[in-house]
Amino acid sequence: MARVYNWQLGRAMDYWYSENRPKRQFGAVFDINKCIACQTCTLSCKTTWTSGRGQEFMFWNNVETKPYGYYPLAWDVNLLEALGPQTWDGATYSGRTVFEAAPEGERVLGWMPEAIDYASPNIGEDEINGSVDKGMALSLPQQIWMFYLARICNHCTYPACLASCPRSSIYKRPEDGIVVLDQSRCRGYQECVRACPYKKVYFNPSTGTSEKCIACFPKIEEGIQPQCFVNCIGKIRLQGWVNPPERAREDNPIDYLVHVRKLALPLYPQFGLEPNVYYVPPIHVPDPFLIQMFGPGAPAAVKTYRNARNDKTLAGLFALFGSTERTIPFFRISGDEAIALDDDHRETVRVPIYEPLVIRPAEDPTRRIIRLNTT
Amino acid sequence: MSAHTRVSIVIVLLLAATASGACRRGPAIDTTQVTAVAVTGSLPTEDPLAAAWDGAPEYPAALLPQDIIEPKLMTAGAARVTVRALHNGDWIVFRLGWDDPTENILAQTGVTSDSAAIQLPAQAGSLVPDPAMGEAGKAVHLLYWKALWQDDAARAATGQDRIAALYPNATTDHYPFLANPAAKEEMARRYAPADAAGNPVTRRASTSAVQELVAEGYGTTAAAPSQQALGHGAWRNGQWLVTIARPLDEGPGMARLTPGQKTFLAVAVWDGTSRQAGARKMRSVWIPLVLQATAAR
Ligand code: SF4
Ligand code: SF4
Repeated sequence: MARVYNWQLGRAMDYWYSENRPKRQFGAVFDINKCIACQTCTLSCKTTWTSGRGQEFMFWNNVETKPYGYYPLAWDVNLLEALGPQTWDGATYSGRTVFEAAPEGERVLGWMPEAIDYASPNIGEDEINGSVDKGMALSLPQQIWMFYLARICNHCTYPACLASCPRSSIYKRPEDGIVVLDQSRCRGYQECVRACPYKKVYFNPSTGTSEKCIACFPKIEEGIQPQCFVNCIGKIRLQGWVNPPERAREDNPIDYLVHVRKLALPLYPQFGLEPNVYYVPPIHVPDPFLIQMFGPGAPAAVKTYRNARNDKTLAGLFALFGSTERTIPFFRISGDEAIALDDDHRETVRVPIYEPLVIRPAEDPTRRIIRLNTT
Repeated sequence: MSAHTRVSIVIVLLLAATASGACRRGPAIDTTQVTAVAVTGSLPTEDPLAAAWDGAPEYPAALLPQDIIEPKLMTAGAARVTVRALHNGDWIVFRLGWDDPTENILAQTGVTSDSAAIQLPAQAGSLVPDPAMGEAGKAVHLLYWKALWQDDAARAATGQDRIAALYPNATTDHYPFLANPAAKEEMARRYAPADAAGNPVTRRASTSAVQELVAEGYGTTAAAPSQQALGHGAWRNGQWLVTIARPLDEGPGMARLTPGQKTFLAVAVWDGTSRQAGARKMRSVWIPLVLQATAAR
């Protein structure tokens, strides 16, 4: 094992290979508060990449309801249980990662799902965390909660899938940090399926090899965001590039949300993979759950988000989500507009930070009607 | 010679007689080497139950878990494989036998296919490569049998694929590759990237139950330049009996076997129920392999 630096843990950690960051790293922010679980992302991915024989159960993108939704079944709670209770010391993780907790004979602490675990992708959908007793529906703020968690491969800086493969069939592209599985090399040992904590590698029983999300790299190479981003109905997603904190740039939208404002957080950072999809945590979920899932920065992120509308830079940046097919490496705010810029800082799209708001009285005296709000 | 010594000799002879009597009922056991018995005519290349196997001595190979490199096999599987071999001057056929209470053919998430492999040094001689998959510059040649590939070849006759075999009652609304019958094959490959990439482990690639590989160390196995091996396994009463056959000479880069010469072999087995695959296997050390000389032809 080598020693590498994981900024999400605030410390060095053990990893199978030495530190070797790509030229630039695929990064994304998902705003959980806006997801409506329409599954358009899931289907846009499925029709593009996994409509073949042997891929029937495969969702490289999936959306599950937390706390009781999982795909595959119990993916995160199984691993949390195997890892056992762990601790943070402020912003530094003092527990053990899946690499540090690897049992004798293993490269990674993992667990092997079975085919049946993929059979109920909608389990727990729309289920709230507790039962609604009489009177509960009217007591606020909410004691009951749920949220939608959209998930793709995190194109981790320290991928467990890559570390686990005895054939080195998985590699991280030096040009964009996308983690791909070589379909000509894989021999279907399923070590990666066992090792990925996020269960984002799938075994194809038709070909006998494993397959995973490729971040739509043919689109990325053309400067276009992946299918699940551009088809997102809730406009919750933004794809760009994420730097390590010491190289963070204020005009990079992902860096700005992740490093500057610390508003977008990694999923289960304690596993130690430095995942590169960052989440704006849901604002109505109790802190202990958020901290377990997104790390110790979650309560502060919720606070920042609650005020985002009054913060022109944040409001403008969120307005750019889903505003263009193009990848947004840079952005700037100009007056009441947010502007997306390409790699050469040329403008690709411009949006108003605030949409005009019109408030009309319910009663229209001219037409002598009462208007109803419909959604 | 004292009376006492005479009695001892009689007892020894009696024991020997008993042992050879057992031999006539069961196989001849040879614990020193695998002897490939020279025969004339055809070999039971795909018949592990053929009577011809009675004429070959049996070598009981002890297996050890692969515990050298991660991922290791931490729970031991089959402890022993029996090895027999026959050759006819053109081809050699091995028969491996081991206990496996469950028959695993189809692989899916969390289940692998029962498999076995024979490893030969690419260069015959006393300086054998590392028994653990060879080493740089000292290649090994592998003959790899998989229950899944055997099943593929059998199912190909009926047009049934692995998914239909795994889920016989499944229905599907639509596969995009069925929309345009003219482009069906091309579209099916498009949605099966391993096939499109020409991966030798895929369903389309498996025309034989045995694939030939070469390796120069852990994680380096690659398809061998020659793919002529044959084989067939039969699972009965909690035991696999599997034949693995190949020509003695397969051309450059492949282990060449010569009647009258001594070389080595190693064996490995994988149990599907225990999710054994790749490095998680039961393996032997190098075992001497002697091909009986053939009568001059
Ligand atoms: S398309 Fe967007 S809003 Fe719909 S489920 Fe996916 S992430 Fe959520
Ligand atoms: S999320 Fe899983 S599959 Fe994706 S890079 Fe990380 S370890 Fe690999």
